[in-house]
Amino acid sequence: MTFRLTCPVCGKRDVYEFTFGGQERGPRPGQEGLSAEDHFRWTQYRLIPYAPGEEWWYHAQGCGLWFKTTRDPATNREVEE
Amino acid sequence: MTAHRPGAVAAAADGSRPASPHRLPCGSTCRVDLSRPLSFDFLGRPMTGFAGDTVASALYANGVRIFSRSLKYHRPRGLYSIEGESATTYMAIDGVPNECAETTELRAGMSVRAQNVRGDPKTDRFGFIGAFERLMPAGFYYRLGHRPYSLWPLFQNGLRRMAGTGVLDPRREYRPGVRAERYLNVDVAVVGGGTAGMEAALAAAERGLRVCVFERRPWMGGHHAWRVREFEGKPLWQRASELEARVRATENVRVLTRSPVTGVWGENLVTGFTVGGDDDPFRECHWECRARTVVVAAGCMDRPLVFNHNDRPGVMQPGAAWRLARTYGVSPGKVAVVSVGDDLGLEAAVDLTRLGVEVRAVVDSRRRGHDPALLEELYDLRIPFRSRWSASRAKGGKHVTGCDVWGMSGIGPNSYTCDLVVANAGAQPRIGVLATVKAKLGYCRHTHSYQPVELPDDVFVAGSMTGLRDPGSITESGRLAGLRAAAFCRRQGTALDARRIGRAEPAGEAGPSSPGDNCPPALSAAIEKATSTLASRPGPVAGTGIFRGQGIGRGAKAFVDLDEDGTYKNVVESAAQGFDAPELAKRFGGFGLGPGQYRVTGQNLAMIMAAMGLDSGKATVPAPTTVRPPLVPPSLATLAGPPHDVHKRTPLHDEQTARGAIFRRMGPWERARYFSEDPSCRDEILGVRRNVGLLDSSPLGKFRIFGPDALNALQRVYISDMRKARPGRCMYSAMCNDMGQLMDDGVVVKESENGYYFTTSSARAGTTVEWFRYHTRYDGWDYHLVNITDVLGSLNLAGPNARRVLERVTRDDVSNDAFPYMGVRRITVGDGVEVRCLRLGFVGELSFELHVPSSYCQYVWGLLVDAGADFGMQPIGLEAQNCLRAEKGHIIIGAESEQRVILTDIGMGWMWDRRDTASKKVGAPALRACAEQPGRMKLVGFRVDEGSGSHRGDLEAAPGAQPGGGPGDGAVIVADGEVVGYVCTTRRSETLGWRYGMALVREEHAARGAGLNIYENLGSGRKSTCSATVVAPHFYDPRGERLRA
Repeated sequence: MTFRLTCPVCGKRDVYEFTFGGQERGPRPGQEGLSAEDHFRWTQYRLIPYAPGEEWWYHAQGCGLWFKTTRDPATNREVEE
Repeated sequence: MTAHRPGAVAAAADGSRPASPHRLPCGSTCRVDLSRPLSFDFLGRPMTGFAGDTVASALYANGVRIFSRSLKYHRPRGLYSIEGESATTYMAIDGVPNECAETTELRAGMSVRAQNVRGDPKTDRFGFIGAFERLMPAGFYYRLGHRPYSLWPLFQNGLRRMAGTGVLDPRREYRPGVRAERYLNVDVAVVGGGTAGMEAALAAAERGLRVCVFERRPWMGGHHAWRVREFEGKPLWQRASELEARVRATENVRVLTRSPVTGVWGENLVTGFTVGGDDDPFRECHWECRARTVVVAAGCMDRPLVFNHNDRPGVMQPGAAWRLARTYGVSPGKVAVVSVGDDLGLEAAVDLTRLGVEVRAVVDSRRRGHDPALLEELYDLRIPFRSRWSASRAKGGKHVTGCDVWGMSGIGPNSYTCDLVVANAGAQPRIGVLATVKAKLGYCRHTHSYQPVELPDDVFVAGSMTGLRDPGSITESGRLAGLRAAAFCRRQGTALDARRIGRAEPAGEAGPSSPGDNCPPALSAAIEKATSTLASRPGPVAGTGIFRGQGIGRGAKAFVDLDEDGTYKNVVESAAQGFDAPELAKRFGGFGLGPGQYRVTGQNLAMIMAAMGLDSGKATVPAPTTVRPPLVPPSLATLAGPPHDVHKRTPLHDEQTARGAIFRRMGPWERARYFSEDPSCRDEILGVRRNVGLLDSSPLGKFRIFGPDALNALQRVYISDMRKARPGRCMYSAMCNDMGQLMDDGVVVKESENGYYFTTSSARAGTTVEWFRYHTRYDGWDYHLVNITDVLGSLNLAGPNARRVLERVTRDDVSNDAFPYMGVRRITVGDGVEVRCLRLGFVGELSFELHVPSSYCQYVWGLLVDAGADFGMQPIGLEAQNCLRAEKGHIIIGAESEQRVILTDIGMGWMWDRRDTASKKVGAPALRACAEQPGRMKLVGFRVDEGSGSHRGDLEAAPGAQPGGGPGDGAVIVADGEVVGYVCTTRRSETLGWRYGMALVREEHAARGAGLNIYENLGSGRKSTCSATVVAPHFYDPRGERLRA
């Protein structure tokens, strides 16, 4: 498996340069009154739809930026929005 | 057509006699240099080949006909294909098994052995096994010998001894020589350097694109390279070699010969490898070529004809016989019968006749569609020709002695005496690359081959694999593919690429680009012109759906797959047992699972299955079996790559080497582990406890964070209240992950209003920036984080005499009052080197950690060593530090923590700022949920009960055995026959005089004073046990008086 990702700073680069940061699941929830179940849901619970979705990637071998991109798991390619 | 007359065998073109009786004067197509003989040996017999030979062609020229014995039946096998399509010529070369003799170039001094053979391949002792064919039906390996199951190992071992291919010697180091890897970025990758591929490369290169051509053979030209037929007034081989010269002279085309493609992966990552020639600096080189477009022009190969004894030595495919003669100048035989299914086969028959092979008869399974010019030539050469006939049986035991041919309508047989049967059923495209680019393939009823039905829009197909045979059509299809690839790049290109492409536009083609479509009109016009030219030339030729000869009976000796000894009868058996689709039969009967993969078997298997479906009333179209990379096997050493040991050295590497350090890899670092041969490090440990020691701790992670939101970021990732960080004071804290597990620990120092300095463990230094930025990615905070791990080295001066040593190198006040425990100061050492000095106590003694600019590390080390000389100061290594910190009960993440335990389980819950919810600390919710959970694992200290250890076997010799005996790190703790925990670190303390350790155990066994039973299985019947008592995990100086001294 191999594909490329578009780093907003460096442009299209090989996926080997990046580390995966999981699917987009919104900002860290507030902790005042946060139930264990809601915390679990935010940290652990994942739906993996077979459709394009937003993902976080880190350009570890490059500029060190965390960015979001929309990728289609069926083709592994980024989707233009 | 050619000057060579039949019967001209004995005299070479220049009048001299050929150097070997088997060599033909084949003229300009010959790739063998008869002036450069190379000697090699086969089974100890000296032989001679020539530069340019493959191992197989050289063996054949020396009269070798049996190359191996087959996998199951030990049938003699000879040269059947010529480019590794089947495994019949897999041999052991220079001790390396399973080398493909057909594609391995001959080198002087090679030693060649046959495989799956007892003794000489001519008189193999297991040769009788073929007679028991009936006992080995399809899938017998899955069905026989399993009941009773106790017999299976016997059965299996027996089979393994008799069947198989090469044998590995586990003690031998295989494949020496340099392995390289290279990475390319190109606009167009062309797979196949035949005429179509070369035309595509030139068309794209003329438009300024970067092109890379992968060609398996040492030369380019595809099947035109050995054909002497004329096209437009010139022999094809000459056209091919002129084209090759043009391609090689083109600057922006990179030509890789001897370079098969192993696959195409996501977004057109083309992988392949180059087998190094004499001039190359490597034995094999792995390529990863990222291409914007791929042109597939992989060409065709023979599709085998299935008939009885079609595996006999002396039966070969037309491509093999023809190329043996034309490329290597080796006569494939004296008297031949030819049974083919395409025009290239007929052309081979004509050409072999002209080269001196006596062709007794030519039969062709096709009813019509023969090239009339070739039929005329056959007539002129007085060779009897029949259409709708094909070979049905090769005669002879160890070599072909004759051949029966049958008419397709059932007439026959006609028998001929011959020593060579040249046979194919037709041609099949090399679909491997198309399959790996995820093209959808469908069966084409016109060409009777798999053709792409849907192609990705950045992949283009050209050449004979599309069914084209006319050289003009092949040329034009290649050019068209190259132009289309250029147009695609033009449309997709970035502005930078567009400028580059635009600059190199050939004269007359540059023009204003039309809006929307970035393809210049001239390029569009060129594509239209090429399309119409191609349409006016002959299109794909009709193929044949025939795969077997008539009169083969049950086909018990008619091989569909030579590698796995899969016969026609086995295919029928598979279908009868319900495995009636190619993908199922492939797995059950093993067809195409051998080294030849889909090449020989693939299409025939599908055609047989489809025909059987038709017989049973189901309308079936041959379905391709999945082709998987690697399409051509590279050696594992090549995939593994060059043995780079990429590691980091600390600024003090040389100093420590001079002091006799023994280094070990720790993560990316080479670190000094010991300074003596004594693994217990007794002297180093006692030196620190009683005197003073010096440790290089440079890999420690060191960071600066500053900016208005620096404190917010620290509050987010650290579990403590980071507002408490103060100037001049080290604050010890830790980072958790969202599960509350301990990720990292270190100290944080406030250095200015919004600036902090902090350390991390060595292992986390590389990912700390990523971690901070990840957990603050939604907040838009304004802070900068700088990794200065490599900018600063770190020297740890520890021991009761540490201050007296430090006082000798600095004028600053380092007394206990001015510089207390956990303090941090900037001090000046020697001739004015300013360093951060942290008073920490990881090893449990008075200690000063000096963070020194890397370039001054050697100088400061020298100062300290000189100053410590009077005290007898010794450098210490990591193992000593590990023992010292364990005695003190200081943990190392990953040693005393793991996935099942959270911060509170390892006695570090005091760090956690429980009241803070506003900063949304990473891990705080998980700690809240789990801290009070019952039944968790807890970190405890233990003291091994005196005299309780007992072992069986030689413990000192066991791997990982502890000095002094007794269970070591990782030993399990057992209660009531159940594992309740394990030992993290245990050592015999040189300081305390007893054996101590830390363990993770279930809570119910973690109470002070509880007994632990420790057990370790050391393998080979050796085991070690002891009992221990849970104690507080601060074995040494529990009140910390020595740290504060």
